[in-house]
Formats: sequence, C-alpha cells, structure tokens
Amino acid sequence: MKRALTLGALALAFFASQPAAQAAQGWGLPEEEEVRFDATVVDVLCELTGDCPDNCGNGTRQLGLLDGEGVLHFVHKNFTPFTGASWELQDFCGKMVTADGLFTTNKGYRIFVLQFVREGADGKWQRANRFTGQWAEKNGVAADSKEAKQWFRNDPEVQRLIDEDGVFGLGADADKAYFEANQ
Amino acid sequence: MRQVTRLLAAGLLLAGLSLPAAAATPERVQVTGEVIDTWCYITDIMFGEGSTHHQCALWCAVGGIPVGVLGDDGEVYMVLKVGDDTTNVANPAILEIQTHRVSVDGDLYERDGIKYLLIDQVVNDEGIVNVNHDDFGIQPFGE
Repeated sequence: MKRALTLGALALAFFASQPAAQAAQGWGLPEEEEVRFDATVVDVLCELTGDCPDNCGNGTRQLGLLDGEGVLHFVHKNFTPFTGASWELQDFCGKMVTADGLFTTNKGYRIFVLQFVREGADGKWQRANRFTGQWAEKNGVAADSKEAKQWFRNDPEVQRLIDEDGVFGLGADADKAYFEANQ
Repeated sequence: MRQVTRLLAAGLLLAGLSLPAAAATPERVQVTGEVIDTWCYITDIMFGEGSTHHQCALWCAVGGIPVGVLGDDGEVYMVLKVGDDTTNVANPAILEIQTHRVSVDGDLYERDGIKYLLIDQVVNDEGIVNVNHDDFGIQPFGE
C-alpha cells in the first residue's frame, strides 16, 4: 500500500512538473486572458466583403477565427518573434479548429495571440511557431540556424528596405548622425 | 406554386449559407495618420510609433503582423487592401509606406470592435514625419 502511494505520488509529481503541452502561456500583456475556444478559420477580407480567393489566399490574407456566436476574432500574433499568425492557420482555411492562446485588450482593442492550434476537437496539437521553419526553408538555411532564429535581421526584404532608407526610414545620413552621436 | 416558392426559398437559403455571413455595407472614409505596426502599438510592449520603431515595424510587417493606420482621431484602422492589391500579409505596397504619415481614401468596415480599412488610394504621403529616435533610440533592442 505504502509502495502504491509512493508510486502514485511520484506519478502526480511527474505530471504536475510537466508543462501542459498545449496550455496557453501568459506573456504579461495588458488585460491578458488565457483562452481556448472552437472557431472556424476565415479570410478576414473575404468575411467582410465576399472577395474570397481560393484557400484563403494561400498565405496572402490575414486570417481570423469565427466563433460559434458569430464573433470574428482578429488574430494578430503567433508564438515566434515579430511574426503574425496567417501562416500558422493557413492549413486550416475554412475548417473548424480549437485555438489556444491569449486575448489582450488595450486602447479599446481586443486581439488574439495564437499559441497552439488543432483541427477539430481531436486533432493533433500544433504549436504556432512554424514561421521560422518556413522562412528557413525559403531562404536555404537550417531551421535551427542562427540566421533563422534572427530571421528578422536576415530577411532579404527587410535588408533591402533598411539598405534603402536606414533603420529610422529617414535615409543613411540620419543613421550616420545617430550612430556617431551614440557610439 | 407553393412548392416552387419553397424550393426557391431553400435555394436562396443554401446560396446564402455559402457566402460570408456578415458581408456588410462599408462606410466611405478618408483617414489621415501614421502607418503603424498594430501589435506593438496596441499591446504597448514597446514604444510603437515613429522613426524610433521603424525597423521593428518593418520586421513585423514582413513577418505578417497586421499593419494599420493610427488616425489623427486616435483610432487604429487595420489595413486589408491597398489599391487593387487585396493581399494583406507582408504586402510590398504597405512596406513602402511603413511609418509614413499618409492620407488615404477607402472603405471602412467595423466588426466586433475592430476597424478594417480597405484603401483605394493613398492621396497624400508625407513620408516619416514622426521623428523621435533621438528621444527613444532604436526600439526594441537599441540596434
């Protein structure tokens, strides 16, 4: 009996110490709510106007989550730095998913951060961090490379724009003046 | 006749079900304000306006975070279209005017507390006029 109790306690301790694999993780955002809800993945522009390309625009459209009460939740963010959620939801266009993540409300706006998603009630949970892997594949580097982890500094389009107009968008002279004054 | 009417009604119902539920009539607007990264601005996770945040705003726009216009009225308008281009994830036309002060004509849709702006035309582009990096440095990492 004592041994059974000990094993039970160990099992409880083990599972309690494991992060709930798909539980929303707080980020300390304003009026943050950790939530899980069922919704249909929709192309926001299509939902508003009826302009509906195939497959939600194949990654070119902002996607939203339309819940059972008809509320359209605008999805702003995924689980990786400086990236949105459209590419995370693209495979679920028009499908019912369970979304797990955070609502944050500030300045009068309530927006959603997608952290995990699964198709239907029984699908496999997927962490909403696929952007980096997709970026790495597109740019010919390993997903776990330094370049991919700092994708925002290594993205060719970002680099082109910074080269053209500088980090402040004001041209090379503004950059030079700032860096000289702040060495 | 009654059966025909019923069939017609059923057909219309089915047709209606295949369309987006809430297609609505937009309001014609002109908005003047700064093109912003809506995530950093709304959440206040950093100072998200002006030249100090321009680089980060580019990162976020290229990364697919929604871009908006912070109107002079203090409202955030999420941009879903520019001109004839209806792509709104990392749209190159939006990247070119990031952080600029612009005046735009377009259609405004409001849904569940969010203002969505479909820009027909950028009627005035003043470039970046919110020059604040001497006060705030480079957001977020200082480089």
